[in-house]
Amino acid sequence: MTKHMKKIGNFSRRQVLVGSAAGAGLVIGYSILPQAVDSASKAIAAGNWDHQQYLTMDADGKAYVYVTKCEIGQHVGTALAQAVAEELEINWEDVNVIYPDSHAKWGLMITGGSWSVNWTFDRNSRIGASARIALIETGAKMLGASPNNCYAKNSSVISNDGRSVSYKDILSKNTIDRTFSEEEMKAIKLKSFGEYSIVGQSKLPFDLPGKIDGSAKYGSDVFVPNMVYGIPVPNPVRWGAIPQSVDESEAKKIDGYVGAYVEKNGFARINTGYVVAFGETIWAAMNAAKALKIKWDLGENKNVSSEDIRNESVRLQEDPSSGFLWVLEGDTEEAMNNASTKHSAVYETSIAYHGCHEPMNCTAYEKDGIWHLHGGNQWQSMAQPTAAAALGVEADKVVCHQYLAGTGFGRRTEPDNFVLAAQCSKHLGGRPVKLMFTREQDMQFDFHRTPTYQVVEGGVEFGRMIAMNHDVVAGWSTKRAAPGFMPDSVDKKGKVDQFSTNGSDHWYDIPNHKVRSINNELSDKALPVGFLRAVAPSWTFWAVESFIDEMAKKAGEDPLAFRIAHLTANGKNAGSPPNSVGGANRLKNALLVAAGRAGYGVKPLGANEGMGIACVSSQERGSPTWTACVAEVKVDPNSGDLTVKKVTVAMDVGTAVNPEGVKKQIEGSTLHGISLALYEDMTMRNGSIEQTNYDTWTPMRLDQAPEVETIIIQNGHYPAGTGEPATTVVAPAIANAIENAIGARVRSIPMTPEKIKSALREA
Amino acid sequence: MTVLTVNGVNQVVDAPGDTRLLWVIREHLRLTGTKFGCGLGLCGACTVHLNGEAVRSCQVEIADAEGAMITTIEGLNGGQGGHPVQQAWLELQVPQCGYCQSGQMMNAAAFLAANPSPSDSEIIEAQQGNICRCITYNRIKTAIRRASDIMQGA
Ligand code: FES
Ligand code: FES
Repeated sequence: MTKHMKKIGNFSRRQVLVGSAAGAGLVIGYSILPQAVDSASKAIAAGNWDHQQYLTMDADGKAYVYVTKCEIGQHVGTALAQAVAEELEINWEDVNVIYPDSHAKWGLMITGGSWSVNWTFDRNSRIGASARIALIETGAKMLGASPNNCYAKNSSVISNDGRSVSYKDILSKNTIDRTFSEEEMKAIKLKSFGEYSIVGQSKLPFDLPGKIDGSAKYGSDVFVPNMVYGIPVPNPVRWGAIPQSVDESEAKKIDGYVGAYVEKNGFARINTGYVVAFGETIWAAMNAAKALKIKWDLGENKNVSSEDIRNESVRLQEDPSSGFLWVLEGDTEEAMNNASTKHSAVYETSIAYHGCHEPMNCTAYEKDGIWHLHGGNQWQSMAQPTAAAALGVEADKVVCHQYLAGTGFGRRTEPDNFVLAAQCSKHLGGRPVKLMFTREQDMQFDFHRTPTYQVVEGGVEFGRMIAMNHDVVAGWSTKRAAPGFMPDSVDKKGKVDQFSTNGSDHWYDIPNHKVRSINNELSDKALPVGFLRAVAPSWTFWAVESFIDEMAKKAGEDPLAFRIAHLTANGKNAGSPPNSVGGANRLKNALLVAAGRAGYGVKPLGANEGMGIACVSSQERGSPTWTACVAEVKVDPNSGDLTVKKVTVAMDVGTAVNPEGVKKQIEGSTLHGISLALYEDMTMRNGSIEQTNYDTWTPMRLDQAPEVETIIIQNGHYPAGTGEPATTVVAPAIANAIENAIGARVRSIPMTPEKIKSALREA
Repeated sequence: MTVLTVNGVNQVVDAPGDTRLLWVIREHLRLTGTKFGCGLGLCGACTVHLNGEAVRSCQVEIADAEGAMITTIEGLNGGQGGHPVQQAWLELQVPQCGYCQSGQMMNAAAFLAANPSPSDSEIIEAQQGNICRCITYNRIKTAIRRASDIMQGA
């Protein structure tokens, strides 16, 4: 899957152009039309430089690294700039980042899947290196030396006899024109682990100071002259409701009311119709949204409840003809017959909400035939063409302008708020509209995480698992959002949503292994489902890592030793370079580190206290981040109250580009995982999400945050993504800890006190 | 017309008296460091100081704020920045997305002004109402303790 995405992500590799006009700095980028341009400076002179420009330098020697990602709290721009700066041999003080507008030339503009650093590190290193080589060549000429006798350091080119010329001098006095062929780019020898001086340093994130003095600009902080505010009215049913008529009489009494936009058609895959209230002030728009009296056709989902979706999952799972195969190895049926110890269990997860602290918003307007859409966005390559289609214009008539985002968690990969804002502005003749979701709208109109239902069955013989059957029933978000991304099932009978199933193809050696992926279409239809941080591994590892623990105990084995026995790195689990080199051995290592650090099985514990262990290879087999966790809990058996006392997370990241940034990502994603696992319940009734705000939907508060000890394992392998994996490992570690504390097994997320008590009654 | 004193400056605001202070600060005066999270007083993203006390500006009607000294993140430490809380937040690199952090810092600053050397449980209680969805809570706890030390000259 990663391979598939990558092809879309990068145009096939072309030459790199490094060039300048006289004394005017430098631009460095991949040519997108190699046949049209053979020289950077010619193109600049002709005014048609329009390439994938990942780096520019000005005449003062300052560098600007172009980041086509969204800052959602992961400080991605800083890490990506560090990769460039390392090879450019530039003083870090001379480095800045720029987040460019959307444009087809960038290829896939997406922020997700913990891919950003993983996909871009090598490219950015080479961009920095190519600029350095061009600077050395020009600087050497100025010094009257051979480039071979010169090197670059601290923003200067230095000859071996000790003379030097600064980047500033080079760039302000020369025209540079250098083209690197694809082969030349590939042949550049990059620094390796141990030679870094900027990579591996915890540089202060560029976005941090503005977040401390209040000057940071988010999508909701956009102001455009003459704009009106747009506040959507929450639909009474999440999907399928269509407004029939609107009575504005009360709204018209509100000072500053501008009008209502009643859209009865909606837009494919985004909504089925909606009403937006406009006001000259946000207060007027908010009051108007409440004052409008709307008659709705509630549509086909008006009676759907969480129970209905669950019942549908149970029915589908029981039907042997459902679904498609994602993994098929050996013969699980025969192996199950041969197993002396057998076990099966059902694991569930509830609907989950992204809960971005900055609700969805977008400011849209038309100017000189171009539609401008302002807001934090994780998938501009989706938002731009979708908004264009909704407006009925060509994609190049829409520009998305990037901003900081008050969290993303995958929610901002959806184009709905951009489409809605564009349609609102069109409705008002191109007048600027600042569309803002209220919390109530944001909670109802999410693309929620699908509820899931999984059945796992396994068999052990002589201490080893010889069979595992795993059925994953879930909504398929990819089917709605990007069906072209779905691969064939292993039996070639149909398509599978990998983002609903991956993780189940784990790294344990189990010779007979079958995974069936089943689409619950009611979930797709009624919610509809989207991508929430870590996506499928949040539920597949919940099942796999709970089950492995249960299976070990049933077979009389220690859960840690049992895992290790199955992490042999044999065959397909040996891994391959660059991303999964080392294979299951790296997961085993992370497991040992976490267990050792936390004192798993060793540390003295009190009554009703327990430790649980789990390990994951999120996100995908093609791009695993080897992660292990030990959770230490205390349970009150009378009330079912659970206290997570401490979690220890060990993560093999290969190379940590910015170690403090990595640590923060692990801390945040670990606690997010706990919040999802324990507190973030969400339910549907009458086709509508029952929770409306932070009072009924109750994410983790400060007093519920346990200590998180992070251990970053570095071994010089290629940098792995760090924003999501820990989210997926904590829930099973906690469930395993609960069982070790009180002997009760909880198999449903969120693990509420009621579920803990009921598990105790069954124990 | 309502006259509001925001960060030491008198501002004449043309808005109905029941308009929530949050929207006037953000959308009329464009002091956008103050954020909207819930609109119901549940999350603390909109926290500002009213005569030195932390309040949820989404719950304050501007008519009730007339005559009061209103301080936003932009005006903390007399508008100089570098309040001990901000120093500690920078030192510990607390923000991730940053969206909740103005509210977190405004809440912590008012709390520390009233209780300069709090216990751990007092810190937790004081900061309980401020949601962080990036879940930076542990760094927030440490930063409040650090800010308290900075205030004592440590
Ligand atoms: S926006 Fe005021 S408390 Fe949440
Ligand atoms: S830092 Fe993102 S919500 Fe707190």
